[in-house]
Amino acid sequence: MTTVRDPSLDLLHSVLNAVTLGAVVLDHDRRVVLWNDWMSEHAQIPQQQALGADFLALFPALRGSRVDAAIDQALRHHFPSLLSQSLNKAPFPLYANAAAARLDDRLQQAVAVTPVDVANAPRHCLIQINDVSIAVGREKLLREQTLVLRSQTFADGLTGIANRRHFDVAIEREHRRARRHGTPLSLLMIDIDHFKAYNDHHGHQKGDQCLIQVAAALSGMLRRSADLMARYGGEEFAMILPDTDTAQATQMAEAIRARAEALAIAHAHGGNSGVVTVSIGVATRSVASAVNIDTLIGAADRALYRAKKNGRNRVEVQTPG
Amino acid sequence: MTDVTPERTKTVLIVDDSRVSRMMARQYILHLQPGWNVVEAGTGEESLDKARAALPDLVLMDVNMPGMGGIAAAEQLRRLAPALPISLLTANVQSATRERAEALGLGFMEKPITEARIAQLLALAGG
Amino acid sequence: MVELSELENDALIEIFNIGVGQAAASMSALVSEEVRMSVPSISFISRADAARLLGSRLAAEAEAPDRICGVSQHYEGAFDTDAILMFPEDKSLELVRLMVGETVSLQELTDMEQEAMCEIGNIILNACIGTLANVFEQELRGSLPEYHVGTSDEILGVSGSEPDSVVLMLHIDFALDKHQILGYVAFVLDISALHDLKEQINRYIARAMGQA
Repeated sequence: MTTVRDPSLDLLHSVLNAVTLGAVVLDHDRRVVLWNDWMSEHAQIPQQQALGADFLALFPALRGSRVDAAIDQALRHHFPSLLSQSLNKAPFPLYANAAAARLDDRLQQAVAVTPVDVANAPRHCLIQINDVSIAVGREKLLREQTLVLRSQTFADGLTGIANRRHFDVAIEREHRRARRHGTPLSLLMIDIDHFKAYNDHHGHQKGDQCLIQVAAALSGMLRRSADLMARYGGEEFAMILPDTDTAQATQMAEAIRARAEALAIAHAHGGNSGVVTVSIGVATRSVASAVNIDTLIGAADRALYRAKKNGRNRVEVQTPG
Repeated sequence: MTDVTPERTKTVLIVDDSRVSRMMARQYILHLQPGWNVVEAGTGEESLDKARAALPDLVLMDVNMPGMGGIAAAEQLRRLAPALPISLLTANVQSATRERAEALGLGFMEKPITEARIAQLLALAGG
Repeated sequence: MVELSELENDALIEIFNIGVGQAAASMSALVSEEVRMSVPSISFISRADAARLLGSRLAAEAEAPDRICGVSQHYEGAFDTDAILMFPEDKSLELVRLMVGETVSLQELTDMEQEAMCEIGNIILNACIGTLANVFEQELRGSLPEYHVGTSDEILGVSGSEPDSVVLMLHIDFALDKHQILGYVAFVLDISALHDLKEQINRYIARAMGQA
């Protein structure tokens, strides 16, 4: 202890006790030689108790931990260490207040352990502890909001099924996978027959209802997690069926056609059936027909066109390439 | 440094894909037990051949090796010679490796290889 | 360029394997899962060549070839070097996700995850240089980690070195729970650092051969 009071030392002392982070200094034998007010408050250990104590005596649970290893690295090798909050949730028992302490509800911490050279003494080590609880809370909120936003931007506003953007991402992914594994990838282009006429006669509101109903019914027929149905255009839907060959895809397309018809949505002005029907074009990318995405979509489109030309409410298949 | 009593000639088999590692281990062993025999192998596969030929009293096996790998080789050696002291050498000391070593009846030593650590290992062969 | 003898190459690879082995053990303790890391090969190349190598090799694995994440630390003492751990951005994202255990996916690395990446770099780089320091029986001082993202040229340039500086490049194989991630550690060395390093390696080898 100095007997003559040095004003600059007083200032440093005051500053150290005013900073809003924990500062602990250990000497070469791991005894506490500096313990600021922030630490006293949040560790609930007063300075008199901390000074001179062995670090592991104060924090026995930290024996063998990353903090322990970091102190070692600083004292022995002169290397600093960073302990991120994400990987080391709350190594020190530090609390916002007494109530939190009772519940062991710790502050979220970011810790830095750095070597400190001291004149006429072997190396010391400085431990700085930052309370990052607020930042962590904010990040968690941001993450949750992003999840919500993301599900919204991939979903079609009207029908709630996947939108065109989602389709574009999915077809890219599934095409790459099919290419890599040599598995067949089928694409169905589904178009509601005489939809313009439906809108003209029943009004756009009913037209929307019709789209919602058809989208719900057809997407409900998807069985596997990788299958996707998306709203491709105004009254057009696209269905991605990975690991599905032409025969299976055609079978699925026929089931879809039948299901749409079975919805029995009255449509007096659409062809002969008296109800809303769909036309479907099927195309499959296989090892034999190893085409790119554009060619696959083109083939499904051509098949769809043929279905329309051949009377609608039917399924047509086109081999791509 | 631990006291080692010079014994009748024993054979230690060192298995490590690093030549420098093998050289250092050989050096430490011969410094502690000048009369002993040191046999080297650079791969797990080679260690099996060398073991059958040299019939070692102790095997020091590096874990991280290409091909068969230290643990697989140790497993095979264990089957060939159930009572043979085999010690795994690794820098990556984690519970998964420890448990596997224990289950196979293998010893365990942390890298880097130092003379003190070698002395501890030689004690397993009665050195 | 710098040519290493077979023995010098062997010695360095073994030293770095010990380093990353210890780093893997530390990381395993953090995530309570088995972590394996190894250094299959090393090379000495010019900084410009290193940038090109990283650009093409990491690009083959990544979706955005120009986005590389680097964590750098400066070391000085027995020799001076800037050490940089590098992954393509999506791989570093994958690595952090694996370590942190988050299942939500975001496009950018958030602050907290950058910090996690810094810690991973800190663990690996300290382990590598620490082992070198131990083996050479020399003192080295290190700095706290810094996070960077950019092209391979930009990342290697953070050391402020010249394009003709030598880089000791380590190829790192990282494995956690069936995920395999390829990364690199680059030690940027100027001529005197390179000389110091070679001298240390030779002393080490001499000791290994019982000649020191």
